[in-house]
Amino acid sequence: MKTKIMILFLVLAAGLMLSAPQALPQKSSDPQFKVKLDFNRWHDTEELYADFRRLASAFPKFVKVSSIGKSHDGRDIMLVTVNNPDTGPELSKAAMAIEANVHGNEIQGGEVCLYTVWYLMENYGRLEPITRLVDERVFYLIPTINPDGRQYFMDVAGGRARSGHVPVDDDNDGLFDEDQPNDLNGNGVIEQIRKYVPGKGNYRLSLSDPRVMEPVPFGEKGDYLLLGQEGVDDDGDGQVNEDDLGVYDPNRNYPSDWQPHYIQSGAMDYPMQLPETRAEVEFLAAHPNIAGFQSYHNNGGMILRGPGSEATGEYPMTDVAAYDELGKNGERILPFYEYMVIWSGLYTVHGGGIDFTNDGLGILSFSNELWNGEQYFTSPELKEQQKNPNSPIAPTRSRYFFDDKLEFGDQFMEWTPFRHPTYGDVELGGSWKKTTSRVPPRFMLEELCHRNMAFTLYQADELPKMKMEAVETQPLGGGIHRVFAEMSNPKATPTILEKAGRNNVVRPDLLTLEGKSVEVIAAGWIADRESFKINPTVTTLIDQKDLKRILLRNGTPGKSSRTIMYLVKGSGPVTVTYDSVKGGVISKTFELR
Amino acid sequence: MMKGPIRVLVPVLLVMLAAGTVAAQDFTKYHNYEETTAIVQGLAKSAPGLVKLSSLGKTQGNRDLWVLEIAQPGGLPLNERPGLLIAANFAGDAVFGSEMALAVADYIVKNASKPEVKACLDNAVVFIIPRMNPDGAEAMWASLKWDRRTNLSPYDDDNDGRTDEDGPEDLNGDGFITVMRVAEPGGTYLVDPKDARLLKKADPKLGEKGVFALYLEGRDNDGDGFINEDPPGGVNLNRNFMHEYPYFKPEAGRFMASESETRALLAWIVQHRNIAASLTFGENDNLISGGRESAGRRLDLLAAAEASIEGASKTGIFPALGSMRGMRVRGGGMEMSITPEMLAMLMGSGGGMFMMGGGPQGRDQAVAQTSGRRNMPARTAPTSPLAADLEYFRLVAAKYAEMTGIRQAPLTVKPEGAFSQYGYYQFGVPSFSTPGWGLPEAPRASGQGMMTAGGPGGGGQTMMTGRTASFQAGRAGFPGAAGSGASGGDLPQAVDKAILQWMDKEKIDGFVPWTKVKHPDLGEVEIGGFKPYAATNPPAATIAAAGRSHAEFALYLASLFPKVRIESLEAIGHGGGIYRIKAAVVNTGFWPTASAQGLQAQSVKPTMVQLQVDPETVLSGNPKTVSIRQALNGSGGRAEFEWLIRAKAGEKIALKVMSQKGGGETRTVVLK
Repeated sequence: MKTKIMILFLVLAAGLMLSAPQALPQKSSDPQFKVKLDFNRWHDTEELYADFRRLASAFPKFVKVSSIGKSHDGRDIMLVTVNNPDTGPELSKAAMAIEANVHGNEIQGGEVCLYTVWYLMENYGRLEPITRLVDERVFYLIPTINPDGRQYFMDVAGGRARSGHVPVDDDNDGLFDEDQPNDLNGNGVIEQIRKYVPGKGNYRLSLSDPRVMEPVPFGEKGDYLLLGQEGVDDDGDGQVNEDDLGVYDPNRNYPSDWQPHYIQSGAMDYPMQLPETRAEVEFLAAHPNIAGFQSYHNNGGMILRGPGSEATGEYPMTDVAAYDELGKNGERILPFYEYMVIWSGLYTVHGGGIDFTNDGLGILSFSNELWNGEQYFTSPELKEQQKNPNSPIAPTRSRYFFDDKLEFGDQFMEWTPFRHPTYGDVELGGSWKKTTSRVPPRFMLEELCHRNMAFTLYQADELPKMKMEAVETQPLGGGIHRVFAEMSNPKATPTILEKAGRNNVVRPDLLTLEGKSVEVIAAGWIADRESFKINPTVTTLIDQKDLKRILLRNGTPGKSSRTIMYLVKGSGPVTVTYDSVKGGVISKTFELR
Repeated sequence: MMKGPIRVLVPVLLVMLAAGTVAAQDFTKYHNYEETTAIVQGLAKSAPGLVKLSSLGKTQGNRDLWVLEIAQPGGLPLNERPGLLIAANFAGDAVFGSEMALAVADYIVKNASKPEVKACLDNAVVFIIPRMNPDGAEAMWASLKWDRRTNLSPYDDDNDGRTDEDGPEDLNGDGFITVMRVAEPGGTYLVDPKDARLLKKADPKLGEKGVFALYLEGRDNDGDGFINEDPPGGVNLNRNFMHEYPYFKPEAGRFMASESETRALLAWIVQHRNIAASLTFGENDNLISGGRESAGRRLDLLAAAEASIEGASKTGIFPALGSMRGMRVRGGGMEMSITPEMLAMLMGSGGGMFMMGGGPQGRDQAVAQTSGRRNMPARTAPTSPLAADLEYFRLVAAKYAEMTGIRQAPLTVKPEGAFSQYGYYQFGVPSFSTPGWGLPEAPRASGQGMMTAGGPGGGGQTMMTGRTASFQAGRAGFPGAAGSGASGGDLPQAVDKAILQWMDKEKIDGFVPWTKVKHPDLGEVEIGGFKPYAATNPPAATIAAAGRSHAEFALYLASLFPKVRIESLEAIGHGGGIYRIKAAVVNTGFWPTASAQGLQAQSVKPTMVQLQVDPETVLSGNPKTVSIRQALNGSGGRAEFEWLIRAKAGEKIALKVMSQKGGGETRTVVLK
């Protein structure tokens, strides 16, 4: 007996070593990581992809990179899959899909994705919960669904890179994107233009800080004129910068509650018109095992859920309960983030991504708005100080203070002289770099990555996972048996969202009973086995014709169990199986005598 | 037929060629995909300068979505001329529309030299897409016929985890899938005493007792208790577009624009913003019904049989919470006490859509809600034509009735997710749809003018009297007051009797008499009812005439297009190199340069007026480029512009005017 256990232990240990991605021996008090990545800088599209390729080659068994399609400019839309093939093929396990950067300027989700894959791999075999997650779940990550926008943000545009690159004629002159802002001095930032006109201008320098430009009151004169964004009249129509690149909203192009652009600005002409949106929709629709979804945006510190518009109607109560449990714990994992509904907490969105994943595909979905300006000055005392207008961290001055004392002037663009082709001698500057405001300071990026990953891993852990609790048989004589089978879903997420069940967007869960020579006479749900023993109440019959294959259109809710009582005639081996596309397949075989 | 064209000198060769090849076409039969392809290729070959054939893309069945572009080159480039789009056969079984579209194309090509055709082809461009759902339409030539409206996309209609597993079977061996009436306890139908071919719902208030249950002809292949609930395919393309998209409803697809055919057309049409009107031949109607979309006219016999499978996609919804039904809620955030109100919400009327307040909400969230509303208040799209557009639509509908003689619509469907709705509500142009044929005129109710009634169904409302009304009134889900006409606005009307009368009159063999058949599972049943395609597609002999009258109607539509030109352009010298440029722009067409909805939806571009000078020479007046954001009305609507520019005598100043739906021109003036 003892040797048997020893052998079993050895086999288990060998198995573990085989499946572990060769964790390096721990040399000192801290783990030695296999792949060194930076989480204190921003990656352009190619750098991000290159790092994922490094992870894929370092952990080839678990991490695969592929492409789900091409962007408008012809870049690959990278898909990173994390799956342990030893625990089953992808489609047999519930998956967490993570997408980021749909708005080109909302870049930090890309770094969160990178951090997530890196963390999962470096800690597989070292931390039990991480090992279990990688073994039980599948992760699909699209680190940037708008690779053109991301690259454009990093190369040139900064905040203007929200859109993708499909051309749009904004100024109705028959030409597309022909008068974009121009980076005249080539420093990678579209700055403001000001002209020094002593005593004749409408702006002046603030006495409190010369970097602040103030409009002058009526009757007084300043020394400066502000002349708009850095640029020239490219198309010779007398207007400057009036037809920027693209300018639409990729996150309004999804096919649930899509509305034309006069109802929902930026929606484009029809849903999935954008190649990126279509590639993503096709990928998601072809993976019914995806049970959780996260779309990383910035900013404001929010954990958003749908619906995006009031008219869509609130989710059914069981769905809200699952969302609430995850969202409320999210607020604990992510200080300064608030869990809220898009339309009521933020603004109305039609055709948004997570409306499609929830309503169209039945996937429990969140969208985190990463980074909150409240995080610059976090303590209650500092918040109190900010109420004093004379404080150096009063709201109008706090950004300058932070830049001076914590980022050493890295983010503010000082005014520099420039010779403009039509305006003559001007100054360019007075702007904040793209790496401020909507994205965290670089030194705070790693914490942002870790906390958001932690929330998403928590969601991944709470994806449905069906369990067969117990099967019990009770002979009634005459070859008739009662069969009790208790199944549970101990996780917070239902196997099928209530709304998805009612709208038939997810294949129903199937409860099957198989046996060569058995016949199901009747079946019904009972409260639970123990109560039924004490008080065998009358059950409601399940009104389906084929009781050997019962459909559960709304699946099994989170943190709940069901007990079915069959009335079966016959004998021999019988298998009861609960088959859920998002909650896994479980079964138990027993003998009827 | 040959004589007319030959007298015309210039296009003689062309027209002879056209007539020579095209004359072989046979508009007395329905054409399958191969034949349709041959026809459109023949048309393109017959008049290479006039007709261009291309494909929007391939279907899953590897069939091309043909589009014909017909216009006489010369003058304005084709992509700057107003376009008329004629499209047909979104629903696979609407094949008559395909034939009409081919006949219209044929007529226009053959008669290219007729003055009214020439006027159209010189100034406008006609696009014809005869068959949008060739994969679905091909089922008309299958040996076993059922009214297939869908494309080839595999689709699990009843969402039971098995796809396309329960299609129809021809149990009486006649090649048609019709209806089974089964005498069984609980049957709610009885033979209609006034017409033994039809059935009526038993009305307990009249002491009637039902005898029959109605099913579609076939077997329960998958043993789920429903017959024919998951036939092969697919998606009805006429329910896959975005306006009033019927989410999660039968034949609508997994989501809007899910089908490659749908997206092929959308991708194409947004590259053809010069299309100024659309005309769809198919199952929707806003022409016979007087300018507003009809709510639909259907066969109740078929609808009743189809109702037998409604439950197939609803079984298996089990109450989610509550200890009373075997659910035990455990720990964590799921714990809550269940109030009767909450239970009512849980168990309540399907759909799962609770308007707000899914759970108790704190004060903070209430505050957030108001802020969310303030940030971006919700807007909704209109679902009926704007008043200004409706006036034009009514005029067009009246003309349609006059030109085609159609007074009563046949079967029609409420347009949810229909292409024609996209055309008006989202693409923003006048869009018309018609089955293209009609039933014999129904008796008029006193005081109800045909074209002014405005309500759905038009003259057909008067059919809703007596027996028909009570037939409907007794049925669950049917309007109790259907017979009153006015109140039935949003619900389809039954036209079984009108269709039978028409079939009788035209001697159409379109109804299978009820005969007894031994059903393998149900025992003795009776099979009968309307033959597939017979009620949705009139005899092929009517194609030629319908094609001709609809070609004339199409030409009439093209004659209404806005026509934007420069009415006057003058330059006044003020001395010192300063000139005043004055211009007037006029719309000499009939329609405004944009429909009211096109303006509201911002889907029609403002008319552009552009002085072709260096912007720095413009001293004052209008900017170099002006966008006329309001529509220029037809019949002489005009706008005036003025610029002060610095220039030299002898310079040529050009003015360019471009209207997306009304063409444009460039004119020059020489400074003196």
